[in-house]
Amino acid sequence: MSDGGFELTLPASAENVMVVRQAIAGLGEGLGLDSSRIADLKTVVTEACNNVVLHAYDDEPGPLQVTAEPGDGELEIRIADEGHGFRPRANEGDSSLGLGLPLIAALSDSFEISGGAGAGSRTTIRFGYAAPEFSENGRPAEVEKELAMAMTPGATVKPVIARVMGALAARAEFSVDRLADTVLLGDAVSSSGEGDFSDGRVGISIRDGEGTLDVRVGPLVEGAGERMLAEMDVPGAGSLRSLARTMEVTKGRTPEGEAAEFLEFEVDAKP
Amino acid sequence: MRTGELALERNDSGLTVVTISGEHDLSTAPNLRRRLDALLDQGSPVVVDLSPATFVDSSILGALLDGRRRFAERGVGFAVVHSEDGDAVDRVLQVTGLRSELPVHAEREEAFAKVSGDSGNSPP
Repeated sequence: MSDGGFELTLPASAENVMVVRQAIAGLGEGLGLDSSRIADLKTVVTEACNNVVLHAYDDEPGPLQVTAEPGDGELEIRIADEGHGFRPRANEGDSSLGLGLPLIAALSDSFEISGGAGAGSRTTIRFGYAAPEFSENGRPAEVEKELAMAMTPGATVKPVIARVMGALAARAEFSVDRLADTVLLGDAVSSSGEGDFSDGRVGISIRDGEGTLDVRVGPLVEGAGERMLAEMDVPGAGSLRSLARTMEVTKGRTPEGEAAEFLEFEVDAKP
Repeated sequence: MRTGELALERNDSGLTVVTISGEHDLSTAPNLRRRLDALLDQGSPVVVDLSPATFVDSSILGALLDGRRRFAERGVGFAVVHSEDGDAVDRVLQVTGLRSELPVHAEREEAFAKVSGDSGNSPP
């Protein structure tokens, strides 16, 4: 364990979450974090501990283990149990359950949950000493920016893209018809081949705009964008292109800085 | 640090103010739920004042969300107060979107007016 960090093991109970919260607040103070960031830290750790208390042991006794290691500009916090891992439950009569993980996600730099049935669970949180940026409506800016996916070509690409685009369209309050159009466009993109993408993986990024979804497909090899546009023509029925407000092939760069082309289109929530 | 405290005060118009102070979490949420249930059974409109609270977690937010729903189902007034002062509680309300979703009133007077409207009474 690094200098200044701590390891804490205590019985997993609702009353003990406060103890962990105070320990982490003390560490935050010692590291010189400002008061609002310490408040965030308390929230993040409390919610991760709540998951253990509520889900790990089914009211049987068991340990809650917390490790906090300060590093360069961030804390790594691990919260672990020896219980049966997270399990889906239909209804616990508690509407708070949906808020805990989003709070952790919004206030930390990253987090992951590992473990499986019978293997205990571990939540690892990376918590930067500086707060993530928030947009004006209180949601983290990252959430609004865009979603980026890269998939190995294969049978899973089509259902994954269809579900993701459908979910984003539904969240953006698309009409039913527009939602179906969006999924159709997703299908068209999914049917492009491995050879169309310059890094061999199907890349798609989607930005959730105000009443639109802005979709960018690529990086593509030269000529692949025009080929995709041509493949959207349906004999005797026009082109799938008309389902999008705009659709064009653009020139850009890969994350590595290499020149590439992209197929970009915008879909409106309302016709 | 103050451990969580919860105080009830009924005003002349039959409205109950539940004041939450200190830190509240999973360990105190059942008590808040019980108090809100009892007030709902009495048909008493409620204003929950979070202003003196220094920490609330998702279990408290869940209790407030459930409270809002159940009071609304019975047509009994329910409102939440917390000033927009940038403290830990304010931050959680902002991040979860509950400041606008619940909604949370910045002043008690606003909450009193909201509760009276919900309950079909004139403002106290």
